[in-house]
Amino acid sequence: MKECVINIDSLTKTYQSGKNQFKALNSVTLKIHAGDFVAIMGPSGSGKSTLMNIIGCLDRPTSGSVIIDGENISTVSDNELAQIRGRKIGFIFQKFNLIPTMTALKNIELPMVFVGGTKADRNRRAAELLGKVGLTNWATHRPSELSGGQQQRIAIARALSNNPSIILADEPTGNLDTKTGEQIMKLLVFLNKEGKTILLVTHAIALKRYTNRVINMLDGKISEKK
Amino acid sequence: MILDIFGMALEAMKSYKIRTFLTLIGVIIGVASVIMVTTAGGSVSSFVAEQFNVFNPIGMVIGTGTGGDTPQLSMRSVVFTTNDVEKIQNLPSIKTVAPVGIVPLNKILKRDGFLKWESRPGETMYASTPALLEIFNLELEEGTLFEEGKNEVIISKNVAEIFGQDKPLQVGDTIFLRRVDGKTLEAKVVGILKESTSSNMLGAMANPGIICPIKPYYSTYFGSNAGTVLKRVVAYTLLLAEATDINHVQDAQDQILEYLDSGGSDANQYKDQNTDFVVITQQYILVRIEQVVSVIRIYITAIALISLLIGAIGIANIMYATVTERTREIGTMMAIGAKRRDILQLFLFQSTIIGLLGGILGCILGAAGSWFVVDLLNRSVQNLGGVIAGGSIQTIYAPEWFLIASIVGILIGMAAGILPARRAAKMDPVEALRYE
Repeated sequence: MKECVINIDSLTKTYQSGKNQFKALNSVTLKIHAGDFVAIMGPSGSGKSTLMNIIGCLDRPTSGSVIIDGENISTVSDNELAQIRGRKIGFIFQKFNLIPTMTALKNIELPMVFVGGTKADRNRRAAELLGKVGLTNWATHRPSELSGGQQQRIAIARALSNNPSIILADEPTGNLDTKTGEQIMKLLVFLNKEGKTILLVTHAIALKRYTNRVINMLDGKISEKK
Repeated sequence: MILDIFGMALEAMKSYKIRTFLTLIGVIIGVASVIMVTTAGGSVSSFVAEQFNVFNPIGMVIGTGTGGDTPQLSMRSVVFTTNDVEKIQNLPSIKTVAPVGIVPLNKILKRDGFLKWESRPGETMYASTPALLEIFNLELEEGTLFEEGKNEVIISKNVAEIFGQDKPLQVGDTIFLRRVDGKTLEAKVVGILKESTSSNMLGAMANPGIICPIKPYYSTYFGSNAGTVLKRVVAYTLLLAEATDINHVQDAQDQILEYLDSGGSDANQYKDQNTDFVVITQQYILVRIEQVVSVIRIYITAIALISLLIGAIGIANIMYATVTERTREIGTMMAIGAKRRDILQLFLFQSTIIGLLGGILGCILGAAGSWFVVDLLNRSVQNLGGVIAGGSIQTIYAPEWFLIASIVGILIGMAAGILPARRAAKMDPVEALRYE
């Protein structure tokens, strides 16, 4: 039995908008194991983004327990939550979300800045990751000087910088052409092979083939086909 | 870590150069105007003080008028008798006393040739003793002092030129002075005063045109109805005095007032009930001038502070805009591990750097600006045609104000940045990431 990195038990998340309550997640129970490559799929409003936000420690559950790599996120402080995000989770966004005022290298370093560590270590690690995504020559370029595919590679390198156990990728190919998207997916598969647990949130059914597990969501509930 | 965030703030500001620069301008102008106001104000104050230092610091003028906190000389009553002069001379803190009798003249006349006369409108003449020159800090350019009882006068440069600049009166010339009572007195010019180098504390009063001995020129008698006998008493409008030294000016003033207000003084008997005795010292005049200068300074400083406030509002405004614009970046940073404190610091650093930079640049601009303002003041003073005769205003920088201005710059940056930075730090990461 592989180690369970994400353990969700009867997770409910409700949003209050005016007098109406909206149940974005309705008693979701889910276990994700180390080394899984999971696709979370479903139409808009199905609750997949909410699930992703909670797993990513950006949001807290209304009820139920969520244990990420041994930490119960319902009970920790804001600062601790930020630390968990920084150390254990690597985010990849649809729109890359690089900091436009920083060079590629600085962007990769950024999560290490928030977590701590010496400048020399950070620099070495960032350069190493830049090599890993094949962009060594682009270290001093700013995001605006890079193509979409290159930006997403930098974003992936950034997601890896604190060596997190979980990678959350939210439509990582959504803003890329098919060919570039394919390259990005291959990079994710490669990372998965290296042992990262990857959660992929997507609409694109075509991406299923890269994953080893698919979770479908609808109206705040999950249905899983093995 | 905090240094890294500081670096990030700097990077961000470099990326928004124009925005940063425009925001800076607000702070620069604010700080520069504070520096300019304080420097120009200080320079003018010390110039004014210097000007009045030329006047005898131990001298004082005694007269009648309105007393109280802001005494005013009226120079209308003739009350100080020879007896008062003697009594005041004997007060412990007094070195010298000189009575001043004002002799209004209708005309000044000069014989031109054998039968022809040239006449000019009269000047005010002071009948006094040579001590007047010492107390008013007047110096002779040529000639000698007059002797009591002789028909001798000392005249100013202006009066010397009264019959034309081309034929000025010389030492040894004889003129005729027609008093308002119609009596004409011969006078030999024995001395000519140096042009006064200071705008004197008493203005025209301490720059008399003609100074003469009491005898034979002054004859203001008045009938004193002491008892039933009408006495004829010589009395003066003003007395001039000098204290024994600079530390006894206040004592001298107190002693004089005490004597005059007592029943023992003749002046108290003769003066109008509604008037007070007034002693004006240089100290008092300096204080008055300082009051005027400081009032002006307070107003201008208030304006300068308002421009600082506007600078602060500028920072706050731009920081809000920046925070809103960078919402998604803030969300991203939170997602990759930034704590709320990190975000707060990031934006607070930016506004503080703007404040600090604005403070420093404002000091530089302010220093240059003050020099320019003082230069401008000097030019306009010269244009007044020597109203202020001596010297020019020196730019005197007050180092403490540069420090204060820099610190104020930093504080303004921090204060203006705190609310926008808090707004950034309090963002919900989920919402922030969704922001388009």
